[in-house]
Amino acid sequence: MRSRTTKQKLTQALVFLILMVLALSFLYPIFYMGINSFKTKIEYRKGNFAMPQSLDFTNYNLLIRNFKILDAFGNTFIIAIFSVLISLIIAIFASYAFAKLKFRGRMFVYLFIISTMFIPAQVTMIPLYYLMSDVHLNNTLTSVIITYVATSLPGTILLMTTSFSGISDEMIEAATIDGAGYFKVVRKIVIPMGMAAIAINIIFNFLGASNDLFTPMILIQKMEKRTVMVALASLMNSRGGDPPYQLAGLTFSALPPLIVYIVFSKFIVKGITVGSIK
Amino acid sequence: MVKSYPSRLKRRMARQGWLSVIPALLFILAVRGYPLIFGFIKSFTDWTGIGAGNNVGLNNYIHILTGSEFWTLLRNTLIFLTFIPIQLIIGLLVAVLLYEEVWGWKFFRVVFYIPQIISALVIGYLFSIFFGYNGPINKILTEIGLGALKTEWLGNTASAVAIIIFCLVWINIGWQAMLGLGGLASVSPSVFEAAEIDGASFWKRFFFVTLPMLGRTIEYSCVISVIWVFTGIFPYIFSMTKGGPGYDTTTIDYMIYLQSFGSVSNPGYASALAMILLVIVLTFTVIQMRVSNKANDWGD
Repeated sequence: MRSRTTKQKLTQALVFLILMVLALSFLYPIFYMGINSFKTKIEYRKGNFAMPQSLDFTNYNLLIRNFKILDAFGNTFIIAIFSVLISLIIAIFASYAFAKLKFRGRMFVYLFIISTMFIPAQVTMIPLYYLMSDVHLNNTLTSVIITYVATSLPGTILLMTTSFSGISDEMIEAATIDGAGYFKVVRKIVIPMGMAAIAINIIFNFLGASNDLFTPMILIQKMEKRTVMVALASLMNSRGGDPPYQLAGLTFSALPPLIVYIVFSKFIVKGITVGSIK
Repeated sequence: MVKSYPSRLKRRMARQGWLSVIPALLFILAVRGYPLIFGFIKSFTDWTGIGAGNNVGLNNYIHILTGSEFWTLLRNTLIFLTFIPIQLIIGLLVAVLLYEEVWGWKFFRVVFYIPQIISALVIGYLFSIFFGYNGPINKILTEIGLGALKTEWLGNTASAVAIIIFCLVWINIGWQAMLGLGGLASVSPSVFEAAEIDGASFWKRFFFVTLPMLGRTIEYSCVISVIWVFTGIFPYIFSMTKGGPGYDTTTIDYMIYLQSFGSVSNPGYASALAMILLVIVLTFTVIQMRVSNKANDWGD
């Protein structure tokens, strides 16, 4: 009996060790990126693995002053906030209708909207680029916002409609009998009851919009309008001789999503197990 | 229970319903529907982005299927697909361990999902730095006396493909584990307990009890991963190999980008390529819908 518990303990320790190695494979690159971003070129060449000699913010200063990375962050932030909010508002009303209002053609419109989720972005991007030029929206943050709203709507509506369907009809009816109109029902019942789905959509659409390269790279050419990801691509292409500078850029752009994740990790993990979004 | 509403209410409901969905519908028609039709029409032309282009019939399609690198691109994608079984085995093993609540499982669960949160571009560039000629991997090799193996890892076909596959597995372990956890949660724990009492070893239980119980999760993640390889790995290719060496790591979606916004401007031709990609993806989507219809009783 005793030998068995020792064996079990050994197995447990081994499992823990394996998982820890796996965890380190995810954490170490981030750590590597962080420590080396404080080094000079020469210090980096001497040793990639050592801690930096001092907490030298030169690379970050250069990124901010010369590379204007904060402007890029501003653009990304504007795009992410507006695309998330617009998509959210449109999706709340649409999902409420799909979940709770009976009307002819409801199922057809619902399936049509959801099915556009499977059209790859690459397929519509070429025509979209010329379309945006035709309506003089090329090189604007607006063009990217509009695109993100359209691409995030199907997934958002899918999750929210599922969530809103769980709200009891009696509750809505009771409110209607009490004289609540359409907007009051949405505001007082649908939004509070669907808060979990709404929140998870906000987080994921926000991350999606700020991490995307393809759409802004195609739709925006102007330097001063570029997003963090587009700026990062140009930094990586042009500064190959200066890895610490590049690593500072990478660290800078990885920080916001990481912070969002750390703050909301409990919530996000729960949301993925239910929604499993990709 | 079928409810009947008075017709006045019904009409109001219908009006409210349509008004609620029209903004969503308009956005999608304008930004996804119209460009799709526009691209379809242009795929039959030699359009260069200026003017309207001449009608060339099926020439673009014929050229893609007979006289271009298309089959190389498709071959590349098929090779990348080998990441899926590896991801499944590792991801589901991790899921089982997390499910059994090994020491530190909550911490592991959060950490393993990190690659899904950080931008694909950042991850791709980190890989390109790690496997670069002066990068840490070569430094370690030199230090442990294997300096002879030092190479431009992403510069030759075999190692570049291997590293991309490794990268795809690595970023998806957490995703697969989460999906597996969701699947495991819907299986009655008594099934696993029974197998354990029967004295089956861990591996026997994993392959003969757990995996079959997770059949639907496995089907679902396979199809989603296939679609993802066709449409979602652009930023990784862009940051790691730029499709090289030659076209050896170029995928269809990367070629669409090269043909329309890269060194050449052939949006007509690229549109035809885009339509072919769409057909491939839709085929897998139909399979996926069959799968998820079957899986409707998953519960959550």
